Amino acid sequence: MLTLENLSKHFGGVRAVDGVTLTIREGEIFGLIGPNGSGKSTTVNLITGLYTPTTGTVTLDGWDLTAMPQHARTSRGVARTFQNIRLFGNLTVAQNLWVAQNGHEQRREHFLSRWFKPGGEHGASVDELLQFSRLYSKRDVLAGNLSFGEMRRLEMARALASNPRVLLLDEPAAGASQEDGQLLAERIRAVRDRGVTVLLIEHMMELVMGITDRIAVLNFGQKIAEGTPREIQDDPQVRAAYLGSGHDEKMERASA
Amino acid sequence: MLDLAQNTMDGIAAGSAYALLAIGFTLIFGVMRRLNIAFGPSIMVGVFLGAWVNAQWSAGLIGATIATFAGALVASIYVERLSFAAIRGDAALASMASSFALWMQLEQGVALAFPGRTTAFPTLPPLLDVQFVGLILHGDDILVLTVAGIALFLLHRLIYRSHFGLEMRALADSAEAAAVSRVNTKRVAFLTFCLAALIGAVAGLLIAATDGQVSPKFGLWATIKGLVAMMIGGLGSLRGALLGGLALGIVEAQAQWYLGAAAREIVVFGLLFLCLIALPGGLAGMRETGAERKL
Repeated sequence: MLTLENLSKHFGGVRAVDGVTLTIREGEIFGLIGPNGSGKSTTVNLITGLYTPTTGTVTLDGWDLTAMPQHARTSRGVARTFQNIRLFGNLTVAQNLWVAQNGHEQRREHFLSRWFKPGGEHGASVDELLQFSRLYSKRDVLAGNLSFGEMRRLEMARALASNPRVLLLDEPAAGASQEDGQLLAERIRAVRDRGVTVLLIEHMMELVMGITDRIAVLNFGQKIAEGTPREIQDDPQVRAAYLGSGHDEKMERASA
Repeated sequence: MLDLAQNTMDGIAAGSAYALLAIGFTLIFGVMRRLNIAFGPSIMVGVFLGAWVNAQWSAGLIGATIATFAGALVASIYVERLSFAAIRGDAALASMASSFALWMQLEQGVALAFPGRTTAFPTLPPLLDVQFVGLILHGDDILVLTVAGIALFLLHRLIYRSHFGLEMRALADSAEAAAVSRVNTKRVAFLTFCLAALIGAVAGLLIAATDGQVSPKFGLWATIKGLVAMMIGGLGSLRGALLGGLALGIVEAQAQWYLGAAAREIVVFGLLFLCLIALPGGLAGMRETGAERKL
């Protein structure tokens, strides 16, 4: 469904991503892991269009996204969240979703709008998404005034408001506690059950090993392994890559 | 006391034009986080085109108005393409420096095209002055306030009640988030630039029609008035730009009356100095998170 073909991004002499080929299947939760600086975030930025690849292509359902600007990719069905939350802090919670919805619901409430936006396909309603994200009571609160956990939930709700086929979650557990991690796992499964394919980039091994269907491991910009969580844990190359990087212990715990 | 009230009233009329200029700057600064100091000169090009169309074909105020809007729009798009669209978003200083270069280019171009320099502009239709409790509201001022009020009302509806306005505000908050939320950031930035040009053209039109003339130095004048009003009000805040413009108009009128024309500029820049020290966020800036972000 989402396919990366020989994808590379070089910054001067640095090969941040180096010839990665990946296929993410419809309806799965796919994990992308790797030590710090292994090229995970660059890969996400290549998929969403923040960077133009040095070589290779990104395709979604057979559509070549490689030359598309970011907003066009989102309209095609690629949504993302950020490691450091990016919200519209001066807009209300509902308005944050309206932006991503491209004005489907807002038009009813405001004059002039119809001059600026043509109609189009309709995803989930804002109210339904707010209930799904347990933010309905905060509907008219400015996003900048939310708590940290609420901001994370709003960011994911906004990504869902753009009616995505695939959702890229860039370290959604950053700054979260163990218990939060459990709730997050449930929410990621719920997103998948809505029919959205999930690409999860994460440091928290327990989370990744617990909920993903398949995992790819990056190291120095190259894919060194791909398979089920069980296969990845037993892979000697993966263990070598993580050795000494502080994650080895976590791998042990997750596999125990 | 009566003088004070009369000056305030006169000041509000002048200040409404300053407010429109400040709002033009604020729209561009808020959405792009970059300063377009060629804003005033772009408007000046429009006003000169209006004056030329009038002189050439006796087009009158209506014809001059249309030409002013068209000229300001074309000049602004020229500035946007060269100094903003062509320069990456994180190079704010490069945009400002190159817009300064375009300012000089536009000003010299107009000065060469109009060797007489100061050119007549059709005046506002005469309207009777209104008197009440000893105060005089001039006919010109009534027209200026009405037109500025309509422009502000339409702008408010557009920014706070339309999807395009929502996209503008989203882009001002976070360009990164807007890009992944189906906002065509380049298009919205371009249209914001055009919107600022039209708002600025309304101000230029009102000022030129009140004066009955325009000179190539109008660009410098408009940029300074707009920037000062924006800074008094608070960088990046639309409400601040409105308040700053009105405050600037009132302070100028009072200073001119009580201290004379020579002291006027001293008082204005003294006020700006005090504002920057005592209220770094401006009159309205501290309450909006958007104004807290730095250049």
